Amino acid sequence: MEHVIIVKGVSKKYGSVFAVKDLSFAVKKGEIFGIIGPNGAGKTTTLEMLEGVLKPNSGTIDVLGYVPTKQLRALNKRIGVQFQSTSIQKKMKVKEALQLFASFYDGPSQKDHLIELLGLQEKLNVHFEDLSGGWKQRVTLALATIHQPEILFLDEPSMGLDPHARREMWSLIERLRKQGCTIVITTHYMEEAEKLCDRVAMIYHGELKALNTPQQLLRGNVSKNITFESHQLKCEDIEPIPGVIRVEENHGLFHVFCKNQQETAYHIFRICHEREISLSNFNFEKGTLDDLFVHYLEEEVVQ
Amino acid sequence: MNAVVQLAILETKMFFRDRLSVFWTFLFPVVMIWLFGSMFVGSEMNGLTFAEQFVPSWIGVNIVTTSFFTLGTVLAGYRETGVLRRYQSTPLQPWKILAAHTVQGTVIFFFSAVLLMVFGMWMYSLSLPEYIGSTLLALVISILAFFPFALFLTSLAKNTQAAAAISSLFLNVMLFLSGATFPIAFMPEALQLVAKLLPLYYVINLLRGTWNEAPISSYGFEVGILLGISIVSILLASRFFRWNGK
Repeated sequence: MEHVIIVKGVSKKYGSVFAVKDLSFAVKKGEIFGIIGPNGAGKTTTLEMLEGVLKPNSGTIDVLGYVPTKQLRALNKRIGVQFQSTSIQKKMKVKEALQLFASFYDGPSQKDHLIELLGLQEKLNVHFEDLSGGWKQRVTLALATIHQPEILFLDEPSMGLDPHARREMWSLIERLRKQGCTIVITTHYMEEAEKLCDRVAMIYHGELKALNTPQQLLRGNVSKNITFESHQLKCEDIEPIPGVIRVEENHGLFHVFCKNQQETAYHIFRICHEREISLSNFNFEKGTLDDLFVHYLEEEVVQ
Repeated sequence: MNAVVQLAILETKMFFRDRLSVFWTFLFPVVMIWLFGSMFVGSEMNGLTFAEQFVPSWIGVNIVTTSFFTLGTVLAGYRETGVLRRYQSTPLQPWKILAAHTVQGTVIFFFSAVLLMVFGMWMYSLSLPEYIGSTLLALVISILAFFPFALFLTSLAKNTQAAAAISSLFLNVMLFLSGATFPIAFMPEALQLVAKLLPLYYVINLLRGTWNEAPISSYGFEVGILLGISIVSILLASRFFRWNGK
């Protein structure tokens, strides 16, 4: 498969602190590539280096065959960018913004298509400052894609959106991908990465910790867990069961982390059966990227 | 080119959407002329009437306010809020941004200058400039000197407040020391020297002169100084264009 972004051994220092350290990865054409990690992990720094706005201290970056910092104008014609916290002029109307940004590019604009796709019709005459957060995100997304870019960079596009607006944003991003756009997205919402991304790069303290499809990441590393309710059982009863890693209990609500769900479940049922203890709300929980996230953070602390 | 035109039109529209800046740009100078008029009208200086002295010089002051506040401080704000940062990831080049804002500033300045002149003609029977072609040329040269000068100076500021502080400092110093409000002849010699270091001094000489006394060809020295400032500032403003406040 063809790669549109190739990053090799890239580091970026602020003073003596590494914001990004020896990062290497490649993004395939047409995929939604997620960069996830906690705040301050180096996600935005990574994205800005790909966009050519920041210069790495070492390593090489290739985006669509360009060196981003050296061929910025050529690159800018083919990529679209949505920043985390930039705004456009407060007193600019939505339709004026679309027209202005369309005039920056030589080729045909997909302005009318985007107005329809993003449902901007009713907001065309509204000043940018009077839009709600969700609408602002839609407008900046429209500005980023007005020239049909080959790669779209989105820095935390669903930050500050309510759950409904966030879901809408995901389906919009899906639709843009169907047009053939490669999308690189940063987020710290694990749910977003799981539902939206084809592959996910996990970054902590500027270092790449894992890179795979969300499914593979979950299959590999996360411990499985089981939840149930019981008011007679104690943590000490479950901890000795083989394969149990950790038990959390809160007002009779148990959360058991284990290596093998089926085997652990068997032992729990056996104990309860033998001692005539009642259980309710028994569940096999699927691990989430959230758990993986915590897993890596705990690993950091241990080190 | 389309981008420059679009941007200039939009920025002009947005200027008029902000009531406060409309007041400061258009009405404030008129109020000032009216205040000075109520003090000085009737008294002649160097053989010029009040309006012949003050209207051209306040048109000069308007070039300063437009360049520092309508252009410089606004762009500093764009730098701070990320508007320019957003442009950086498009194919738009810095010179186009500077050109669009220069066109916008010129349009706004043109309206304010006409307003001041009409007010002077109506209240204080000011006549049209004696050498009108020279006056127009003088205005163009002054704009070309001041706009990039202010754009460069305010681009050194980290944020809008700092840019506004730089702008206020320059405006106030020039307002009082370059002969716009107080005749230079009344000042001690040291201050007269300082006045000659300020670009507004040459703008006012040029405007007053072409309005009342002689064509622009008699003001080669002033024109030379202003063109010098213009070339140096244009080079600095486009060479050291900054996309963000960091």
